[in-house]
Amino acid sequence: MVQDTYSVNESTQYRKDARRGQARRRIRLRNHGYWLYWIAVPVFLLMVLPYAYLLLQSFAPWSQVDETFFPSTLTLRSYEWIFTGGGFEPQPWLNALFNSVLVSVVDSVCMVVIGAIAGYAFSILQFRGHKLINNFILFQMFYPAIILLVPTFLVIRFTGLYDTYWAMLLPYLVSLWAVFMYTSFFRSVDKEILEAARIDGAGELTIIFRLMVPISRTISTVIFLFVFMDRWTNLLWDLIVVKDPAKQTLSVLLSTMFGPYGTYPGPLYAAGALLTFPILILFLIFSRNLVKGIQLVLR
Amino acid sequence: MIRVTGTKQSKQSKISLRKEFQGWLLTSPYLIFTLIFFLIPLVYSIYLVFQRWNLISPRPTFVGLTNFQEALTSPRIWQACLVSYKFIVLFVPLVMAASIGLALIVHHLPKLKALFAIGFFLPYLASGVVSSLIGRGILAYNGPFNTFLRSIFGTSPDWLGDGNLALLIIVVMVVWKFAGYYALIFLSGLQGIISEVYEAASLDGANAWTTFWRITLPMLYPAFYTVLILAVGISFSLFTEPFMLTKGGPEMATQTWQLEIYYQAFEQFRSGYGATVALINAVVTLITILIIRRLVEAWGRHNGW
Repeated sequence: MVQDTYSVNESTQYRKDARRGQARRRIRLRNHGYWLYWIAVPVFLLMVLPYAYLLLQSFAPWSQVDETFFPSTLTLRSYEWIFTGGGFEPQPWLNALFNSVLVSVVDSVCMVVIGAIAGYAFSILQFRGHKLINNFILFQMFYPAIILLVPTFLVIRFTGLYDTYWAMLLPYLVSLWAVFMYTSFFRSVDKEILEAARIDGAGELTIIFRLMVPISRTISTVIFLFVFMDRWTNLLWDLIVVKDPAKQTLSVLLSTMFGPYGTYPGPLYAAGALLTFPILILFLIFSRNLVKGIQLVLR
Repeated sequence: MIRVTGTKQSKQSKISLRKEFQGWLLTSPYLIFTLIFFLIPLVYSIYLVFQRWNLISPRPTFVGLTNFQEALTSPRIWQACLVSYKFIVLFVPLVMAASIGLALIVHHLPKLKALFAIGFFLPYLASGVVSSLIGRGILAYNGPFNTFLRSIFGTSPDWLGDGNLALLIIVVMVVWKFAGYYALIFLSGLQGIISEVYEAASLDGANAWTTFWRITLPMLYPAFYTVLILAVGISFSLFTEPFMLTKGGPEMATQTWQLEIYYQAFEQFRSGYGATVALINAVVTLITILIIRRLVEAWGRHNGW
């Protein structure tokens, strides 16, 4: 609307151009914008403060945990406790870390692979019925997932998968969001490249993984990072389908150790750091195109 | 002639048949998944809400609408409903203001935009378990924040022991988590506004305040709409933070829908009743979102956006 109001009026075009040049110079003089860092930096520090607290407490001597923001000395005792099993009783921390990595990696790789394959089928192959399925996916995405929680749990119980790795893995093999993203992204890919590849005798799977996925590298990275993070930080589902401590993920183990009389706050912070910083580092490694990629995905 | 057309047609139909086959083949992982983890649970949930079943007895008993009757007269459900609306009232304006603020900061920074955008986004990566751990630690009764407050004011509140404060803490934690993420949505809205519009406005003598209300905000309307719906959705699906920090207490001041579903279905083992609460939760969420959508659309139309 506003754009229309200010759209160029032919007769005053010249005068406006001249004045616009002046205005631009004035804006540049007035708004260097560097004063903004006086706001941006404190806000930035406030946003990362909880992470700093987590890191500092995980290195704090046990007598000082949660007592002060800056511990007087730093120690590795909390991490030692976690990695060696805590001295007198085998604590399953390392095991839980392994479970978290296993579940998250397997699931997020499957989500990306199945997402790319299905997205390709829906956007490029356009077989009969693809429109119906596309609409169905939208329906699924907007269908409240909470309704499915109890019945899905019962399906897992009936099939005898309760308290197994399968119970954690299977319900997260497909991400509707990933399918949806790939479908809409692949639609914009130039069809001529595909024809060229087909003439060269490439099969559909070759086209998907040698051509389509490399073309969509930025968006694939972002999709992978987001589904990985989602799976890695899951609590509710992993909490209800697995009771065996040997199969618990790190999130679940941490939540069960969290009670009001939690005796070892130091190791809890170390475990929290292990749960947080791998994700942070992963995102920072790929941060080069992250903002652009995320905005592409959010649109 | 006829024969040639015939082979051409059969060749084409063969290709299209192959395409159909390949299409369905490549879709099959998704289809199987959807059957097992969407369609079956979907149908099953409709069956479950009419049953009473504690998972120990071999089969459920049909109880008609008893589950709904119990849910609609349960103070626990009404409390969850009340808390979710309280949460909306606190959380939605706060997260909107914070994320628009962050987006404006990033947008107007002369340099290092990406660095700050990512920095503001980092809280989104925190798992609720870990942020609860940190929150509880910082706000512990003898924790660093209270010690600091006592050194200045001589007194300090019991953050998680007081119902209103506990809810406020959870609100702040969720705002912290989502503000930077929503800021990215607003940022792409801001980047869509061409600088010509601002220049034209400044030519017409608009000050910063007018520019913000008359240009920036209307142009951000689509992003605003998206974020609003997302934020309202989150208000109805809180689990991890209250589960870790308060278990819904003190005196159910932080009771949420998902806590109730978890408690009924997985601690009391009442599958039928749990499924009913989930259904009611979804219906309440849907109605609220529809009403808010109508309001926002009317507001947008009123302003001619």
